[in-house]
Amino acid sequence: MSNIRHLFLASRSGLLGFRHVGAAKVKFSINGQHFATASSIKSPEIQIQSFTEKVPNPPLEKHDHFRLSELFTLKDLFDARVHLGHKKGCRHRLMEPYLYNSSLDYDILDLDKTEEHLRLALNVTAQTAYRGGIILFVSRRRQFCHLVETTAKECGEYAHTRYWQGGLLTNAHIQYGQGVRLPDLIIFLSTLNNVFQQHVAIRDAAKMNIPTIGVVDSNCNPSSITYPVPGNDDTPVAMELYCRLFKMSINRAKDKRRQMELLQGLSEPSSSSS
Amino acid sequence: MAALCKLRFGVRSAVRFSPSISIRTSFSSDCDDGARPGSGFAAAFQRQAELQREADGDQSGSIPGQEQTFASLFKEAPIRDNVVVGRIFHVVRDDLYIDYGGKFHCVCRRPAAGGERLQRGSRVRLKILDPELTARFLGAKTDTTLLEAQGILLGPLEGREVQKRGQNQKQE
Repeated sequence: MSNIRHLFLASRSGLLGFRHVGAAKVKFSINGQHFATASSIKSPEIQIQSFTEKVPNPPLEKHDHFRLSELFTLKDLFDARVHLGHKKGCRHRLMEPYLYNSSLDYDILDLDKTEEHLRLALNVTAQTAYRGGIILFVSRRRQFCHLVETTAKECGEYAHTRYWQGGLLTNAHIQYGQGVRLPDLIIFLSTLNNVFQQHVAIRDAAKMNIPTIGVVDSNCNPSSITYPVPGNDDTPVAMELYCRLFKMSINRAKDKRRQMELLQGLSEPSSSSS
Repeated sequence: MAALCKLRFGVRSAVRFSPSISIRTSFSSDCDDGARPGSGFAAAFQRQAELQREADGDQSGSIPGQEQTFASLFKEAPIRDNVVVGRIFHVVRDDLYIDYGGKFHCVCRRPAAGGERLQRGSRVRLKILDPELTARFLGAKTDTTLLEAQGILLGPLEGREVQKRGQNQKQE
């Protein structure tokens, strides 16, 4: 029974050991929370204990442990047209705190605030990737669907840019079988679907306690998203910038993890047996 | 010297200056134990690099170590009824998708005269009528947007470049 409790705690913090090879759709591995027999989870359990004991996780209070603020400057955001918003008439009431005062007929997003939010979002992404979490990129913009999928493939994470079935997160255990692992972080590169309604996954992720990062334009609703990043989601230059930044931060975190594991492996040559 | 090192580490520097600053501090902290090269190529290179950096910093108007604010970068420039230069990034038979540096692209029909020259990558002049086509319909809370700009294609940019080259040749 203590094994089961340990597994439950490990899965809660997203530290399950093994994962499948990255692909374009969401892949699942055995979750500790719902399972039938103890025999099926013996092999990952040993890996979990070695994972948590050996490599110490970077403290979450330490601001910018992976030095992600080097990845971009405010000028880069400006050149990628991240500050351009929709017309005044399309504005969402809740986006007003992120807007810059301008007399033009279209809204301008304040890049000082965007920079701050983006740094936070990249930090969260890197910390999640460092701890071996599953990251899912979601975007329903057909124009950028290929870009998002290639980004996910290049950093070894997952993407979902097609039609979202209703019960994908909330009904996962019935649709995909028992013992399914859900993503630990969902990144929305565009929070609206093609009918200009909010993407269903935002509400579903909030229901399933999955933290979300979302690029919110001036016509989007930022309220249900854990880490909103106010920015332009319509221009290809801006989307390429976001994809590149997320990919670099995930790769950095994973490289650092591999480095730490190698160091731990060198310092403790004897393998622990539990 | 140690205080200077701490100050440099404390300041959040811009991207292009951070590696050089970190190299310099590490170098000077190492040389606290040994002797700082007072002569030689290394010292001369350092001095020249510092001068170069300061000169570049003055030109760009930003002091290394200080972050630029959005207010300093953004200039309000109305785009309506302006003539801009765009670049064609996609072609679908007679429709040209032109990116002029705004939020959305503009879709124009290929002109009958000289239209064959306009291909992917060619630069054109266009007059922007509306940076985003939106309209508020009856019963709707927000505007409906087409995610496109509206503009009139004035012609390729090549015409002016050819004229300039011709003038230069005449002068020579």
